[in-house]
Amino acid sequence: MAKPAVIVVGADKGGVGKTTVSRTLLDYFSANNVLTRAFDTESPRGTLKRFHPDITEIVDMTTTSDQMKIFDTLNTVSPSVTVIDVRAGLLSPALASLRDIGFLDAAKSGQITFAVFHILGPSIASLDEIAETSNFMAGARYFLVKNFINDTQFFQWDQATYNSYFHRIKDATDLTIPKLNEMAYEQVEVASVPFLKFVANKGISDDAANYSFVLRGYVRHWLANVWSEYDRIKLTDIVGSGKPTSRGGEK
Amino acid sequence: MRHTPVYIVCSPRPLVGKTLVARLLSEFLLLKNREVTAFDVNLKEPSLLDFLPKITETAEIDDTVGKMALMDRLIIHDGAPKVIDLGFHAFDEFFKMTEEIGFMKEAVRRSIAPVILFVADTDRVSARSYPTLERQIPPSALVTVDNEYVVRGELPPAFARGKILNISALPNFLKTYVDRLSFSFTDYLRQEKDSSTELHQWIRRNYMSFRELELSMILQGS
Repeated sequence: MAKPAVIVVGADKGGVGKTTVSRTLLDYFSANNVLTRAFDTESPRGTLKRFHPDITEIVDMTTTSDQMKIFDTLNTVSPSVTVIDVRAGLLSPALASLRDIGFLDAAKSGQITFAVFHILGPSIASLDEIAETSNFMAGARYFLVKNFINDTQFFQWDQATYNSYFHRIKDATDLTIPKLNEMAYEQVEVASVPFLKFVANKGISDDAANYSFVLRGYVRHWLANVWSEYDRIKLTDIVGSGKPTSRGGEK
Repeated sequence: MRHTPVYIVCSPRPLVGKTLVARLLSEFLLLKNREVTAFDVNLKEPSLLDFLPKITETAEIDDTVGKMALMDRLIIHDGAPKVIDLGFHAFDEFFKMTEEIGFMKEAVRRSIAPVILFVADTDRVSARSYPTLERQIPPSALVTVDNEYVVRGELPPAFARGKILNISALPNFLKTYVDRLSFSFTDYLRQEKDSSTELHQWIRRNYMSFRELELSMILQGS
């Protein structure tokens, strides 16, 4: 059995696109035939579960029973990759919990692959989270995700500020999520389907849908750009599934 | 019906004869197929809508709603030929969009046959735009229109690599005549008994060029 991999997607700020990034990750793994399960910590009503109901479970990460549900099953369930969409404000406490239960030590010793996708907001406060979060990152792959889907800027216009945050953490890797056309984004929201199904013009139950060709095209183009970022960081290698396979959506 | 042709008449330059080509082509297709739908994305120049109001719809691509309204119709395989008169101001945005949404690939999947009629000019803007099209459009679907009235001499070598459709220059007095909003090329052919007139010959020559272009598209698709 492959070494279990846990990917935490989070931020201490709300509305920065955590669930959007989680959805692109689940689509990416699905397209690369990597069996994945997901946990949505937006208890009791999860957004991620709305888009990926078959593989997503809603949990409350602050309770011990749900922590057991996630981490005690890492070695016993068949999907070797676990994606956890951490609710706003819970990233630092969640990482502290992982440290307390010895999960971070297990990652450090190589028993578990652990990656954190830290979604950044546009404020200095959000950037200050980087320093706080990085304290937990020994043994983890740490990705700083600049999500441009909300037209956010990241102090590129102020190089000193930019460098002080983005170049301060050794071993952190920048990722860029480009902007998606607003109407296309809204249409996928309304359809409540994974991005991949929207591109393939399919409904929730794989039934034929009638989405706009233009909007599908925008989503396909955007998703290909996001996935090229995941290819760049060799995400399938990180989770131990080898090279990305040829993907239908990009043909 | 094997394919639905979609002709896109375009140039990044104003006043090079796009609407003239779109008019000629629309009237030819109407004569031959009895149906054609034209889209005018050219509201800042002499407009196809003014010449052929019965078969022309206006379209805008400034926002996503406008793009959806146009492109979601172009991608339907209904057998009705379509002609787009694409204004110079919309050139960059249109082809940026078609590249992003994968129009050419989806067209092949849906039995749509896009033909890009690039009306050439000798300026730098045209020279820069053509390679952009070449990267996106297969050579079989990219046709350079050599409008003698505009190019006035040899076509720049960069444009002469692929298919070329020649439009010979009309004398000024005939150009003024065909530029009247009430003028119809097909009506002229029907009503003018003397087939030796210069205009008669000119229209027939252009209709013949379109017929050859259509035939080559059919042969490529077979």
